[in-house]
Amino acid sequence: MPEPCGRTFDEALLSGYVDRALVQRDEQRVRVHLERCARCRAVVDDLRAVREATMTSTFETPRDDEWSEAPRTESSRLLVGLGWPLATAWAVILIGYALWGGWQETENLVERLLLLGGATGFGLLFFGVLLDRLKAAKTDRYREVHK
Amino acid sequence: MNTVMVESAAPAMVAGDAESDRQLVDQAKAGEPTACDALARRHRRAAYLLALQLLGNRDDAMDVTQDAMLRFFTTLKSFDATRRVQPWLFTIVRNQVRDLWRRRQRRPGDDIGESDALVGQLATPQPGPEADLQRRELKARVWRALAALPAEKREIIVLRDFHDLSYSDIAQVLGIPIGTVMSRLHGARRQLRARLEEGGRHA
Repeated sequence: MPEPCGRTFDEALLSGYVDRALVQRDEQRVRVHLERCARCRAVVDDLRAVREATMTSTFETPRDDEWSEAPRTESSRLLVGLGWPLATAWAVILIGYALWGGWQETENLVERLLLLGGATGFGLLFFGVLLDRLKAAKTDRYREVHK
Repeated sequence: MNTVMVESAAPAMVAGDAESDRQLVDQAKAGEPTACDALARRHRRAAYLLALQLLGNRDDAMDVTQDAMLRFFTTLKSFDATRRVQPWLFTIVRNQVRDLWRRRQRRPGDDIGESDALVGQLATPQPGPEADLQRRELKARVWRALAALPAEKREIIVLRDFHDLSYSDIAQVLGIPIGTVMSRLHGARRQLRARLEEGGRHA
């Protein structure tokens, strides 16, 4: 059924014409119609103007150093996997050795309390950080990513 | 704001880029970290811009892009390297955006909400021919009208007119038959045109 302007094809072909996405036969039909239809020519001109404005727009984008989506490599995963157990074992042995050695060295109650307090504080801090890391690792969406 | 300006809106992928993408994908599959880095540097800006255009919010767009890039790399092994990377990455971005909407109980038919948020992310052009006031105003009007469109209309226009995707790539990203791309795109453009006319009357 022809439109009032005499167009015998679907209006969507005007978009296809603007996008150069029509087969030759349809492109020919649209071109012939546009030569005599000011209304459809105006539609095509509008579509082109909007496409040009959209295409030539520029947006602010994040700086390169704001991205962190590179996946972790097998080697870094292995190193981190080994690092934490080793560091934990080292901290346990070091604190135990410091406590035992220091305890043997002195009979003074104040010195023993200082030693015990310091070692306990260090131990609590270390295990607090370790527990936080373990908890965060379970919910961290970026755990597979280089940070 | 911690940002830099993009040089051009949507650098269209040419045949050479697709070929080197293929090589990079093969190298990344083989575990080459520099190839992953090169792929990320090549495609993340376009992915970010699509997320920004769908969400209208810089922080959400950044989160979605990082998640999408992560998914891109974790699923790389199953990716057919003969296909183009950008439509595949855009499909992931779109799915991530939809997941975010679902979590926030928004629908694809909703607009961005605050239409000036997206316009606020437009780069300020350098003085010169580009700084032409009328063109700048038209761009702001177009993006304000786009932000006011339902997301499903906005995405098809943005994919075609900003990112310059072919109809077959658009069909792949949206998961629709290629034969319906033109009519859906035209419907969206018609609605955008009506918004612009409406905006023009109220300006």
